[in-house]
Amino acid sequence: MQVPLSEVLTLSSVALLVSTFGVVVRRGFAGWLSAYRYQSVVLAGSTAVIAYATGLWEIYAAAILTLVVKAIVIPRLLVRVTESVKDEFKIEANPYVSIRLSLLISALLVALSYGVIHETLISANLDVYALTYLPVSVSLFFIGLFVMVSRRMALNQVVGLLIIENGLFLFTTALTQGVSLIIEVGILADILVGVMISALLLLRMSQTFDSFDMVSLESLKDD
Amino acid sequence: MTLFTTGADSLKVVAIGALQVVAVFAFAPLLTGIMRKVKARTQKRIGASVFQPYYEISKLWSKDEVVSDYSSWVFRSAPWVVALATITAALFIPVFVPFSPFSAAGDVLLVIGLLALARFFTMLAGIDAASAFGGIGTSREMMISSLVEPGLFLTIFVVSLTLGGTDLTSLVGAAARSGVVIAPSMLFGLISFFIIILAETGRLPFDNPATHLELTMVHEAMVLEYSGRSLALIEWSQSTKQLVLLALLANLFLPLGMPTSIDVGLLPLGLGALAVLAKVALISVLVAYVETRVAKWRLFRVPDLLTVAIASAMVGMIFFYL
Amino acid sequence: MNFLPMLLPAIVALFIAGALLPLAFRDPRREAVASFVPAAASSLLTVALSASVLLSGSALRLSSPVVEAIPSMSLSFYVDGIGAFFMLIIGLVSTSVSIYSLGYSGAYSGKHSIRALGSLLNLFVLSMILVTATNNVFSFLLFWELMSLASFLLVVYEHEKETNLRSGITYLVMTHIGTALITAAFLVLYFQTGSLSFDSFRSAAGQLSSFTKGLVFVLALAGFGTKAGLVPMHIWLPEAHPSAPSNVSALMSGVMLKVGIYGLVRVTLGFVVPSSPGDAWMGLLMVVTGSFSALVGVLYASVEHDIKRALAYHSVENIGIIVLGLGLSVVFMSFGLQSLAALALLASMYHSLNHAVFKGLLFMGAGSVLMRTGTADMNRMGGLVKKMPWTALFFLVGSIAIAGLPPLNGFVSEWLTMQALLSSYQVPNVVLQLSIGFASIAFALTLGLASATFVKLFGISFLSRPRSKAAEEAIEAPKSMLAGMTLAGSLCVVLGVLPFVATSAVASAFGFDIGLVSSYAPFGPLTVGYAANGLRSVSSLSMPQVLVITGAVGAALLGFVTVVGPGRKTVTRRYTTWEGGFGALDERTEYTATSLSQPIRSAFRSFFRPHTSVKREYYSDSNHLIKRSVSVTSETREVFEDHLYSPALRAVVAVLDRVRRLQTGRINSYLLYIMVATISLLLLVVLQP
Repeated sequence: MQVPLSEVLTLSSVALLVSTFGVVVRRGFAGWLSAYRYQSVVLAGSTAVIAYATGLWEIYAAAILTLVVKAIVIPRLLVRVTESVKDEFKIEANPYVSIRLSLLISALLVALSYGVIHETLISANLDVYALTYLPVSVSLFFIGLFVMVSRRMALNQVVGLLIIENGLFLFTTALTQGVSLIIEVGILADILVGVMISALLLLRMSQTFDSFDMVSLESLKDD
Repeated sequence: MTLFTTGADSLKVVAIGALQVVAVFAFAPLLTGIMRKVKARTQKRIGASVFQPYYEISKLWSKDEVVSDYSSWVFRSAPWVVALATITAALFIPVFVPFSPFSAAGDVLLVIGLLALARFFTMLAGIDAASAFGGIGTSREMMISSLVEPGLFLTIFVVSLTLGGTDLTSLVGAAARSGVVIAPSMLFGLISFFIIILAETGRLPFDNPATHLELTMVHEAMVLEYSGRSLALIEWSQSTKQLVLLALLANLFLPLGMPTSIDVGLLPLGLGALAVLAKVALISVLVAYVETRVAKWRLFRVPDLLTVAIASAMVGMIFFYL
Repeated sequence: MNFLPMLLPAIVALFIAGALLPLAFRDPRREAVASFVPAAASSLLTVALSASVLLSGSALRLSSPVVEAIPSMSLSFYVDGIGAFFMLIIGLVSTSVSIYSLGYSGAYSGKHSIRALGSLLNLFVLSMILVTATNNVFSFLLFWELMSLASFLLVVYEHEKETNLRSGITYLVMTHIGTALITAAFLVLYFQTGSLSFDSFRSAAGQLSSFTKGLVFVLALAGFGTKAGLVPMHIWLPEAHPSAPSNVSALMSGVMLKVGIYGLVRVTLGFVVPSSPGDAWMGLLMVVTGSFSALVGVLYASVEHDIKRALAYHSVENIGIIVLGLGLSVVFMSFGLQSLAALALLASMYHSLNHAVFKGLLFMGAGSVLMRTGTADMNRMGGLVKKMPWTALFFLVGSIAIAGLPPLNGFVSEWLTMQALLSSYQVPNVVLQLSIGFASIAFALTLGLASATFVKLFGISFLSRPRSKAAEEAIEAPKSMLAGMTLAGSLCVVLGVLPFVATSAVASAFGFDIGLVSSYAPFGPLTVGYAANGLRSVSSLSMPQVLVITGAVGAALLGFVTVVGPGRKTVTRRYTTWEGGFGALDERTEYTATSLSQPIRSAFRSFFRPHTSVKREYYSDSNHLIKRSVSVTSETREVFEDHLYSPALRAVVAVLDRVRRLQTGRINSYLLYIMVATISLLLLVVLQP
């Protein structure tokens, strides 16, 4: 069964975007963690498609790594570390931007990134993978940034960071298909460690200050 | 003109210059005596003889000196510095003859500088004896002198613009050649210079030379601690300064009867000297008369009068340029 | 001389040795010797270097590329006449100060680190010398900044006093404002010529548009004026100079200010060459700023009772006089009056040299007094002329010099400046003539006030009776300090009596014919010609002849006094001062510094705006007739600080407070800023045609 490449690519990019919206729409820690798992699986799948199309084994390895680390290791890690954190810190009760509005803004950001990429890179000679995945990756980047901006709870901002990382990973893979495995491993390790550290810090913060609310944390500012 | 001109002329020139200074030094107390006599007469008193200052100087000359043990060598040396500076200044000014042989070494700015040096040391002497009177005199003199300087400089400016340069021999020569200059700039300069002279020589309304009340004395306060020969030197230098400044006024602004150069022979020179003497005597009579007409001004009104002098010279300068 | 090229590296090496050696020792005396002896030696070498450049009339060029790839970053040195002249100033003063510091550092032993003082001083002097020797913008700014930082560290040397820290910060801020303006000026020149080297600036001088010239000039005047202490950028001077140790104050006041003047001279005469009447406004601006500066400086000096603050304000005054002369020179140059331009430039540069020497001397004297009495407040001094006779003598020499009285050096440069002012009738523009006339009023007022102030400074500090225990118990300063002061004092005398030394140095430095202003003979007079309206005359001043004449008069006077002796043998009795019969005088009846300057403060009250506040304390609130204490405070405030800087600072702080709201402390807002910035940039790229 020969599925045309372009349709596969379109499908995967749509799946990525939908999964991102899925993350944005969740209110709770548990919710977005599962959405994130889903997104990572889709991401691994897209990477596998690129790998299949180009035939480079490194990208296969990258896909497997992505699957393992992002879909399995990181969620497990996060769950374990934040076990003792109280539930009220995990539910985004009062975000700066309401969930519905964030969804609309995310859609706008997607449009923006598509527009920007097409305008700027219209002259560059890009292959079909880059053309499909670059706009997606830029929108992932912006949506992740936006999620970090709009969440009030410190823990929920970690998801924004992870989405950004996903976007960057996709960006590099799509643009330079022969990306060195080492770099990819490096980026992943960096993210892993980063997540661990932020989770630990958040744990400590909740223990010391008893609050993850950004507004009360703001009083720590040196005035 | 350099210090040593050609041949025997140079000796004649230097001799005349030296003689001039000796004459200045000798006649100065007479001028003070004349002024006092005039003041006395206008006040319906007989007054002392015009030679009284000479008697006072010789009296002081042979008296003991009492020196305060709070004071230092500055106090002891000040009268000598004052005398030295004043006589040296007199050397550069053409008083009785229309030239000074030392013009190549210094001009009117040097004269002002030397007189300022004398004043500097007098002011220091006032503080040195650690008496409150000295401090009074010095602080008042500080204020007055700081305002007299710009007036003096501006008057020199006006004169130098009109008569050319700051070299006193050429200035006096130019004045003699052009006669009395009835130009607005010179007239304003004359007014300013007259006021400045009143301030510099310590006459009313700036300072009363005959008083020893702390309310009214400026110069007297600074030299209050002096006695004997030092006091004689100071008084004599003060009179010398007075004569020299009045002669400058006469020679620059009212140069009638002054020969235009030195090579005119002894008789015209002698006549010129007498003319200067007469003019200076007349001006001192005028000064004395002015003194009897005004009272001593309150100290803080004195800057107003000095500002009048400065403004007058400023107007003179503007008139010259426009 | 073929060891000439080795002098500059030798100087650098010696100073660096002086900076590093004291770090090796532990004993304060050895530290002092290890730092100040190399400094003195190196300063002497500097004098030698500058003298040889001036005497030979040829410039010295050295270069040591730091980074080969970037030619503008090389350290290229070019010691021409102008640089050599200022190097001479630096060398002379720092020699005296280094010798002086050997003894002065004893005041700090045990309390502060002498190593720091010594090494910073070496770095400071070295950076100043190198500033005058550099030839491109990079090295100039490098050494300029080094100079500012070294002096800042020295200003806050006694950091336990809160006021010192505050003055240090003020100084740091002001000097950086100045540096920013200077950099801007150099950048304008760079954009015009495309190179950072001074040589290219010099060669491009003729082709600059008058707008560029004006812009560069104004920026340079403001920037270098800040370093030199021109009003209104002077506010750091009266704070920083008194806070620093006295040997540093001597260097800052005597030498660092001149480095600012060097920059101004370099830019104005070398890069922005005034050559047409359209450039005369630059000179006029300098004349006005200079005379205003002089007047403001001396007025504030006259009411100060802290001896170092008064001296600092006097530096403001003298810099004003220097800039006034420089401005006159520019005005004359614009009209092509070469001999008058030479005269004014000679006056200005001579005064720079003089001021460096006598201000250094005065600060050294103040330092000795401070060291021995522990106070800089004149109202607590007195009678020191008997306890510290040599210091008093040197301070008197310095006072007579700065008051511009003959026969010392101040009189000569003042004579030259006055002659330059009087020669302004030759400028064919009435507005300029009148403005210069008004500037002369300010100048004369300055001179009058200056001698009054120094009567107060010398009189209250040294004469009359001691006003405090510390003054009573003072002793003479150590010999090394006296040696340093002797050097500076003798320079004052030499420069006054033999003007030939300085005039030929200046003429050689700036490349004009000495015959325009002075005769070629060593004992010859300074001459200025007058020619207008059919009148011709030559004003001349010959200090050696004046000295001879004075000597003759003195001899005659002595002879007269001896011959016409008193009729009887007189005795000089010593007794107390006359006190009106009240009995022994207390030292509280003497005049104080404040009371001595009270008539001046009152006469100029519209400038000073003194206010007096009276505070009364009562024993009980119901009865106001019986007072416990009455205290009267009378103060004059600095008008520039109140009306210029404080409002400006308040406005800046208010604006910054609003900007502060952007710093919310919340990570969300910071990320929002990043996001907005990124999106905007992308849109910018996209929407750009």
